[in-house]
Amino acid sequence: MSQSERMIDIAGVHKTFVADHGTVTALEPVSITIKEGEFISIVGPSGCGKSTLLRLISGLDQASGGSIKLDVSGRKRPVGFVFQEPVLLPWKTIIDNVRFPLDTSGVSRAQGDKTALDLIKMVGLAGFEKALPRQLSGGMRQRAAIARALSDDPPILLMDEPFSAVDLLTRDNLNDELLRIWQSTGKTILLVTHSVEEAAYLADRVMVMTARPGKLKCIHNVELPRPRGEETKLDPAYHALVAQLRRDLRTPAGEAH
Amino acid sequence: MSGRFSAAVDYTLALAVLLFAWWFATGPMGLPTYLLPSPLRTWNALVTIALTGELWRHLGFTLQNIVLGLILGCIAGIAIAYVMTRFPKLAVWLDGPLVILQTAPKIALAPLFIVWFGFGVLSKIVLIFSLVFFPVFVGAVAGFRALDPKMKDLSKLLGLSSIQRFRQIELPAAMPEIFVGLKIGAVQALVGAVLAEWMSGKVGLGYLMTFASATYKTPLLFAAVLLTVVLGLLLHVALTILERRLLSWKGAARG
Repeated sequence: MSQSERMIDIAGVHKTFVADHGTVTALEPVSITIKEGEFISIVGPSGCGKSTLLRLISGLDQASGGSIKLDVSGRKRPVGFVFQEPVLLPWKTIIDNVRFPLDTSGVSRAQGDKTALDLIKMVGLAGFEKALPRQLSGGMRQRAAIARALSDDPPILLMDEPFSAVDLLTRDNLNDELLRIWQSTGKTILLVTHSVEEAAYLADRVMVMTARPGKLKCIHNVELPRPRGEETKLDPAYHALVAQLRRDLRTPAGEAH
Repeated sequence: MSGRFSAAVDYTLALAVLLFAWWFATGPMGLPTYLLPSPLRTWNALVTIALTGELWRHLGFTLQNIVLGLILGCIAGIAIAYVMTRFPKLAVWLDGPLVILQTAPKIALAPLFIVWFGFGVLSKIVLIFSLVFFPVFVGAVAGFRALDPKMKDLSKLLGLSSIQRFRQIELPAAMPEIFVGLKIGAVQALVGAVLAEWMSGKVGLGYLMTFASATYKTPLLFAAVLLTVVLGLLLHVALTILERRLLSWKGAARG
């Protein structure tokens, strides 16, 4: 399988909002090229434009300038998106929710069911196919949301603080499962998070962003060996990286204004 | 299960007490029939018109008007609410006229409806429609406006067509609020149906009442009143069943 070197090509993308008191810069020009199959974490404080960047890549919002190119050869839905909240349809069962993107793009019911069941199994929700979202815990709902985002097999998965609403133990589990899913599907993943530990643990590269105005401060390559697991968290290199990320976020640039 | 059973016992008991009081007032207390007919006379009046087939004609007419008015009122209420939430500019234009229409007492407009739409079925359905429309409309507006913006993001990400978005996301999400309006509308629909038949026409439960009272057939009048009560109950039960089916996902719909 030939891998695209420029799966996501972002050049000088910026975003300004028109507010009551003039324009507000949400994101200063950002440029980065992301390879197919790469796992990128984006860390930064609130208001650094990390969610904005994700929304621009997904096409939910339009950039004020610059260009975003996705090497996805004209797919109707190139990205899967996982929000901070699960955003499941509360009147549909888990399997119906996971199958929803397929149902709405004309995939046959039988084919959709097969795909949805496989995904539900992959995210560890086997046995809960017929449950309604309200009957599941927050972590389980977020698993379902991940399965839904993957259901029509988008090459790119964008995740906007997907695990911020679940408890720490669940979060650790979900992180490991996300790595497993990433390794088995080969998706290109961009994950926005507040947590420098999560960012370092998961990613190939970490983008550090600072706030007011939101901008990309630096990018770290994460050289930690794969597959990652409990031993990664004991690795001095991991701790050094986490400390470095903390310093990056704490420098005056991040607190200016 | 036992809760439901004891509730049934309670209802039956209450009904029995009511029936006994009724019988007592007409029997041992000796109230005259023209004031209060006995349960037996009322029953006989009911059976008589049931056997001649007249009952079904009147009941069917009223029921048909209510159902038609409810369906049309719901469709229009939901459609206009949806258009207004989708096109806020239109809402600015429509808000004024709608508030005036909404606050106008529809019952007072009933004679006007007869002038405009005649003595037949049309004026009756228009009256019922006007009574159903507003509560459903208000509920639907609240429902559509309360839609989680994340749901909009989801439909945009999935590239849903307008129809898909409405059918799959917006309508089901607004359904709880629509139902609040529909339940109010259903009660109003029954009132409107009977009232419209009082004022004009030769058929329907409302007409049966005016006919019975004009000819001093108090047992028949009583039978007609009881029929409207039963009709109201049936309407309530039908809506509750529908609500349980459509809103079971809320997990709290217990009538």
